[in-house]
Amino acid sequence: MNDRLTVPALYVASIGGAIVLSALLVSVTGGSAFAVFDALVDGSLRSPGAWGLTVTTMAPLLLVATGAIAATRAGLVNIGQEGQLLVGACFGAYLAVRLPGPGPLVLVATLLFAAVGGGLWAGIAALLKAWRNVPEVLTTLILTFVSFPLLTFGLRRRSLIGDRDTTRVNHINSGEQIPFDTRLPDLRIAGNQIDSAAILAVTVAAVAIYVLERTRLGARIDVLGLNPRAAQRFGVPQRPVAAGVLVASGCFAGVAGAVLLTGGTAGDRLSFGYSGNYGWDGLLVALLARNRVLVAIPMAFVFAALRTGSSFLATTGVDRKMTDVVQALLVLALLLPAAIEYVRRARGGRQPVAADRPGLGRRLAPVGGEVV
Amino acid sequence: MAGGAAVSVRGITKRYGDVVACDHIDLDLRGGEIHGILGENGAGKSTLMKILIGLVGPDEGRVEVNGRAESITDPQRAAALGIGMVHQHFSLVDELLVWENVVLGERGRLDRSAARSLVTTIGDRYGLGLDPDALVGDLTAGLRQRVEIVKCLRRDPAIVIFDEPTSVLTPQESEQLFAVLRIAVRDEDKAVALVSHKLDEILAATDVVSILRRGRVVDSMVTSAADARSLAQAMVGRPVSLRGSAMTLALGIIPDTVSDTTSDPGRGTAGHSGIGPDEPDPPTTTTSSAAPTTVRPALRIGNAVITRRGRVTLDHLTLDVYAGEIVGVAGVEGNGQADLVDLLSSLVALDDGLVEVDGVEVVSGRAGAMGAAGIALIPEDRHDSGCVLELSVAENLELSDLGRGRAFGRIDRAARCHHAERLIAEYAISCTGPDAPLASLSGGNQQRVVLARELSGHPRVLVAAQPTRGLDVGAIEFMGQRLRTAADNGIAVLLISSELEEILHLADRVVVIHAGRIRGDMRRAPAPEAAFDIDRLGLMMGGVVEAPEHV
Amino acid sequence: MYASAFQLAVVFLFAASGEWVAERAGTLNISVEGMLLAGAFGAALGMHWMSVGAFGLLIGCLAGVLVALVQANLSHRLTANQFVVGLALNVLVLGLTAYLDTVIDLGRAKAETLTIPLLADIPLVGAALFARPWPGYVAYALVPALWFLVFRTRWGLEARAVGERPQSADVSGIDVNARRRQAILVCGLTAGFGGAFLVLGQINQFQSTVVNGRGFIAIAAVIFGGWTLRGTVIGCVVFGFVEALAIATRVQRYSIDPFILEAAPYVVALSVMLLFATRVRQPRALAQPFVRGLT
Repeated sequence: MNDRLTVPALYVASIGGAIVLSALLVSVTGGSAFAVFDALVDGSLRSPGAWGLTVTTMAPLLLVATGAIAATRAGLVNIGQEGQLLVGACFGAYLAVRLPGPGPLVLVATLLFAAVGGGLWAGIAALLKAWRNVPEVLTTLILTFVSFPLLTFGLRRRSLIGDRDTTRVNHINSGEQIPFDTRLPDLRIAGNQIDSAAILAVTVAAVAIYVLERTRLGARIDVLGLNPRAAQRFGVPQRPVAAGVLVASGCFAGVAGAVLLTGGTAGDRLSFGYSGNYGWDGLLVALLARNRVLVAIPMAFVFAALRTGSSFLATTGVDRKMTDVVQALLVLALLLPAAIEYVRRARGGRQPVAADRPGLGRRLAPVGGEVV
Repeated sequence: MAGGAAVSVRGITKRYGDVVACDHIDLDLRGGEIHGILGENGAGKSTLMKILIGLVGPDEGRVEVNGRAESITDPQRAAALGIGMVHQHFSLVDELLVWENVVLGERGRLDRSAARSLVTTIGDRYGLGLDPDALVGDLTAGLRQRVEIVKCLRRDPAIVIFDEPTSVLTPQESEQLFAVLRIAVRDEDKAVALVSHKLDEILAATDVVSILRRGRVVDSMVTSAADARSLAQAMVGRPVSLRGSAMTLALGIIPDTVSDTTSDPGRGTAGHSGIGPDEPDPPTTTTSSAAPTTVRPALRIGNAVITRRGRVTLDHLTLDVYAGEIVGVAGVEGNGQADLVDLLSSLVALDDGLVEVDGVEVVSGRAGAMGAAGIALIPEDRHDSGCVLELSVAENLELSDLGRGRAFGRIDRAARCHHAERLIAEYAISCTGPDAPLASLSGGNQQRVVLARELSGHPRVLVAAQPTRGLDVGAIEFMGQRLRTAADNGIAVLLISSELEEILHLADRVVVIHAGRIRGDMRRAPAPEAAFDIDRLGLMMGGVVEAPEHV
Repeated sequence: MYASAFQLAVVFLFAASGEWVAERAGTLNISVEGMLLAGAFGAALGMHWMSVGAFGLLIGCLAGVLVALVQANLSHRLTANQFVVGLALNVLVLGLTAYLDTVIDLGRAKAETLTIPLLADIPLVGAALFARPWPGYVAYALVPALWFLVFRTRWGLEARAVGERPQSADVSGIDVNARRRQAILVCGLTAGFGGAFLVLGQINQFQSTVVNGRGFIAIAAVIFGGWTLRGTVIGCVVFGFVEALAIATRVQRYSIDPFILEAAPYVVALSVMLLFATRVRQPRALAQPFVRGLT
């Protein structure tokens, strides 16, 4: 069918366009597009240890994305992962430096406590939604911007997450270093150091795929997102389940925050801006993967590659910010094909299926039997 | 008084897939005349109006305006030709003021004072008092309709169509509306079309009436020469049904031996609405059902009260349905059927009253409770709560189990597939397989999926709301057979429909719902005249029996 | 301190009033942050080219509109998800402007102060309100102009209808998504101006961190104001003071914890949503894409 050919073609054209645009931008401003491309590949894959680093970077992105996908499938609009991640990291940091005990145990507790933190942060939005029907798109967004000064606040106080070691020079601007043995162990494969968080993330993703695709809970979430009235009718109480999934997606983001902390990719102590856009990027990964966890895995890898690749750009004379541009262009490029297809189908008069499934747009419920 | 035909419709035909909404319709709307268009829901009235107003295009036929054939491509074109419609839904913005709504959609500069005075001028001319600065959301249904009317009339159309205007009006407001129509017609020589399925208003307000059935104009007469009985019979149909003579409707009259339930709300209606255990069984024929054999009703709704946004939608509604019978709830749309169905779908909680299945109370409003208690339901719009289009046939067939079982329990795909294949065969669902997305099935087959799922769960009660709406003849037959079989197997069947023929075809006992209450109760006459008093039914649906002085 | 409060409030106001228009039409426009930034960059670029403040403003506005064009067409013509588009655009503008900043050497960008005699002599607030860089005065005209646009013109009526009940508007013959796109363009224009003012009137130089979340504070201001223009203006003034206070405490080391001040706009917005959930009414169709599928 014509459809089957045009969609992949659109993707190729779209992504190609984004790449060409980026290359043009580089050339116009005096750089060499090839050098940039080279550096990106170097930084993300080719140079020694690069791809291991990329896989390590992928882990938190994938975790966030998995949670975001679950939320979207339930019909929720959670765009506050950045804040949930940060709060999770804070919770994790708090516990890591205080809990006595063997390293591995503390590590697991840290990850779990971070999940609690992220879940709580999302829980505020969930509560507001369940209780007062405040749309979660607004609350999760606003809460993200509350989390940043919250971090600063916490860092100032030694009773919270501030550094109790006041002899350090920079102690008022960053948190306490977490104990060495509470770090996630690394795997060494072919000369690459891969954080075991990657295993964790992929495992979590696999479990999520199983739950979403194969268990009753997954079916309930799907129906809730696709047709809330049918869900209610067949035994899925809307409010509690939606709230639960929202909290769960916050938990995922929280764990990602702890992964950043214990995995070492963002430093082993909290600091300003610690969340580093991992939350936003994870959300983007989820949305671009059209809410399929399986697609989110390679998508997270691509985003991670852009991050690690950008560190090599300095040698080309092109600023690191270029990768942000490339990433944004890529995101926009990935949006286009689905959108174009949707418009085409709608113009063709056929009943269009939502551009993403279930999609971040409220499904318009037919009102009042319109008679023939 | 009547001038030449302002609008002539010739041979208008419109199909939606297999369903013929309009079937070679010929109609004339003349200036200075109120032309009633009567028919049940699904008769094709709304589609015809949509064609006239430019929202839908006909497949065949032509429309002539003032003698010239015109192609009405969109609402702007219709307005330019002088055709205006007072809509039934969806045309007002609650959050805006009256004058803002009235001028919404026009072109040109926004002149607040001109708009406001326009509202008062038109209001005065037609006797429709309105405060231009009122917020539309605060208005009652009657006042909102006034805004719709003013919005339509401000463009001074030569042809005005009123689509089911009194469905949400009180009798007094309806009177006022008819007065408006008279003015429009008498003083301004407009051609007015009044689309309705209410007999009394057709009788009270129109000069001529055309009756539509299943997309065709079956009769046309001068109103003064018609009466309720003749209209009801024309509306419902002659004994010869389009569906062939497999089931015939013989006409007969049965005296109603129980008193009207309106005078006795709540308590005591149990004896009224049902058949007592000591009443002798009426002699049966192949078309009528056996009397219920259990004492306790399979489904009891007692004194149900639901209030939505200040309006009472179910007003101490009481209804009993016994195993093995098909009870038809007849009534004009908007009299509480929607909330009755929502109640039985666990989608809304009662403010008062109860629901019992086999004597055990079911918590209203709790997700899935009704289904778990054994109430199966075929909703009016399956896309609303009956199925999920994006899921597969197999998944849809298992929806009733959605809330049951451990959350992290694995779904047995093989079993689900097997179960689906069985049902596909049993119900003759035409699809590419259990994994076919539901959206790929035709409407009739989607309905079969819904039916299959609901019946396969061994329910105690089956609620069917408008089950044959939008279906072709074959699908209608199939649905009817299945409902009958269900009843014969001991399920209590509740059939809620505004299509009288559907009810008459299938029901053993008919009640009428009006303004949120159950009124009236009739059983099929004993053989050989196994039928209902159609006239009385039609009158009750129109609420005419309610206020005898209006007849 | 009043001076800086005013300055900040004005920036918020430019962004928030445009966002108010966009949200009244039913769109939730996250890319307002990107629009501000684009405006800032455009102003610096304009000054770099022409050394005339007005030209900088013009380029700033155009830059904001450019961002709005992309947002509007992707999300309300091609039905792409408006949040993804918004987020991506923010990242894109951030990256692009930062990148170009390293490549082009942008000098100082400053607009002259314009003092209004007499009024400027009002004690306490006079200097703050009437002795500011001249683009700031546009704010005084902007608010009534937008009010007029939304409440007194046909366009505004249709935009409001589209934000409340798009189906009814559609049935009445209004092109829903066209109005929404136009509303986003209005936001782009004002936010671009705001970003330009930020550079020309305040920071006087472009840095990639110059906007730093102010776009999201603008969104919070709209929520704070309960989607009324008056409330939004008040919100901007309040948040302007809050931010000025935050800066002052940082400088003078008062005992008020800056965290509270930084978080205040957002917490306040949240509280408003919570406390006044039944009374504060958001546009009924806010953030709900419109597809005519149901005729």
